[in-house]
Amino acid sequence: MTFKYIAGIFLIIGFSNFHLQSQTPAKGTLKISGQVEKQIVLTAEQVSKMKHVTAVLTDRGGKNVNYRGVSLQDLLGLAGVSTGSALRGENLAKYLIVKCADNYEVLFSLAEIDSSFTDRVIILADTTGGNPLPVDKGPFRLIVPGEKKPARSAYQVREFVVKFAK
Amino acid sequence: MARSSVAIGVIILLVILMSLLSYLPAPGYEIKYPSYFGDRIFIPADNPTTEAGVKLGRMLFYETSLSKSNTISCATCHQQQLSFTDGKKFSTGVDGTMQKRNTMSLANLLWVRNFFWDGRAAGLEEQAKTPLTDPHEMGQSLQISAKKLRKKQAYPSLFKKAFNSDTIKEAMIVKALAQFQRTLVSAESRYDKYLRGEYKPTVSELNGIALFYAAPDPIKGMRGADCAHCHGGPKTYTELFQNNGLDSIPSDRGRELFTGNDFDRGRFRVATLRNIALTAPYMHDGRFNTLEEVVDHYNEHVSNNILTSPFLRNRSNELNGKQLGLTNNEKKDILAFLHMLTDSSFISNKNFSNPFSK
Ligand code: HEC
Ligand code: HEC
Repeated sequence: MTFKYIAGIFLIIGFSNFHLQSQTPAKGTLKISGQVEKQIVLTAEQVSKMKHVTAVLTDRGGKNVNYRGVSLQDLLGLAGVSTGSALRGENLAKYLIVKCADNYEVLFSLAEIDSSFTDRVIILADTTGGNPLPVDKGPFRLIVPGEKKPARSAYQVREFVVKFAK
Repeated sequence: MARSSVAIGVIILLVILMSLLSYLPAPGYEIKYPSYFGDRIFIPADNPTTEAGVKLGRMLFYETSLSKSNTISCATCHQQQLSFTDGKKFSTGVDGTMQKRNTMSLANLLWVRNFFWDGRAAGLEEQAKTPLTDPHEMGQSLQISAKKLRKKQAYPSLFKKAFNSDTIKEAMIVKALAQFQRTLVSAESRYDKYLRGEYKPTVSELNGIALFYAAPDPIKGMRGADCAHCHGGPKTYTELFQNNGLDSIPSDRGRELFTGNDFDRGRFRVATLRNIALTAPYMHDGRFNTLEEVVDHYNEHVSNNILTSPFLRNRSNELNGKQLGLTNNEKKDILAFLHMLTDSSFISNKNFSNPFSK
């Protein structure tokens, strides 16, 4: 199969130097695409410099854990997605698909994430307890407070895609 | 005079009719599946499924002249009676070389977007190019395949019917193969009959179903194996790429080789469990010979390292347990459920069998 050749290429460019340890901060970027004014790609460093807020997630053991990150509304605003007073009319038929590294996908309606509709603030977290998120969950994890299941607080978020319901 | 002009008229009419007919689209093929599989199916706009396309695709699937040696076809490695696998750890290609990964079963591909163990082929059309042309599989360029098919008696008219084209083009070969493979729906297992209320499962099967879907929660006293977290609902398939903890240092880097992302190391596509009792050996490298070994892996031997999916680490039926901790009876129940997924009508369906053997 052809992946033998691909494997060869990776060996040549020295992929073997990679170290995967929980301490090394996870790499990765966040892309915002779809029905947006401008498609953007943010690095973990760029996200870390944006305004941060805290969100609380109840973990499987019932313990509350604090996460720090950027509100989804702010992130979508950067890409020119209609938020706040512009989120009305047909824009209310728009939704956001959050895509993760393992191909996992979860969906939100835009109104669900907007401060003119709800006080709940969903964030794209990049730290917890002052530390970057571990490789298997980071660099970005969605934190959706107030839900009974953590299934939408997805790990390893890679892309936001905004679409119109057809 | 009058009679001959009538005859000419009839001939002209016939010619017009026939040329009209060849412009009509080939009749569509309706792929039937249960509603609980959902409609998130994938058929590219430029390759609708048609009766003629599926018929041709089936012949091509069994056509040995698509290989360099004229000895192997898709069906050499993908045999219907084994849910389109061949029982081998690694199948042998046309040049005698072993494949790098275990042959995958072909069932319910209509719901798959990214093919192969590492998801490197987007769509069945693209996928088919690999086995056809890889020197270690069938080893023949699409160009030569098209040329060989043009010389065979049956094919020009079959391609004409399927694609309304006077010549056999390379892209049509993979399109027809894709159309046929989209019809390989398996939905007549005992589990399907149970879902439709036509079969009453045994106590062990019922408990197996419950364990398959439930997440373990020792605090609440909930027993579970949480297989569905990755393997999903009734299709027993969701398109996720996960590292299921086979090794601490994966010798096959899996999806990382395709994406270049270090976090994809040792990740493979979650496999369908449909007809799983027929498709041994298991995993991308065929390391497990039996389903018992697979269940032992998930219950006792998941490698607890940072690459392993967080959904398989430190998940236990025991308080603070590191491994799943199912009892021997619970393991047997899960096996009973896995055996419910065998669909004997799928492996005997005449629409999928070798059209050349009478
Ligand atoms: C020499 C054995 C061999 C032959 C011949 C062969 N395959 Fe395969 N097939 C494999 C192996 C091995 C894999 C898994 C490879 C991988 O993931 O890298 C596979 C995977 C597939 C898949 C992916 C299934 C999924 O769920 O992603 C499809 C579809 C497929 N083969 C179709 C075909 C078709 C069509 C042909 C004929 C044109 C064919 N195969 C010929 C061995 C073979
Ligand atoms: C974290 C996700 C995940 C969970 C949970 C999970 N699996 Fe898997 N499973 C996978 C992946 C990924 C593969 C393919 C791995 C490979 O080949 O390297 C796989 C492969 C398999 C296979 C082999 C398929 C084949 O065609 O070779 C079987 C059988 C299986 N799993 C059964 C189970 C059972 C039973 C459970 C519950 C005890 C379970 N799985 C839980 C991700 C998961």
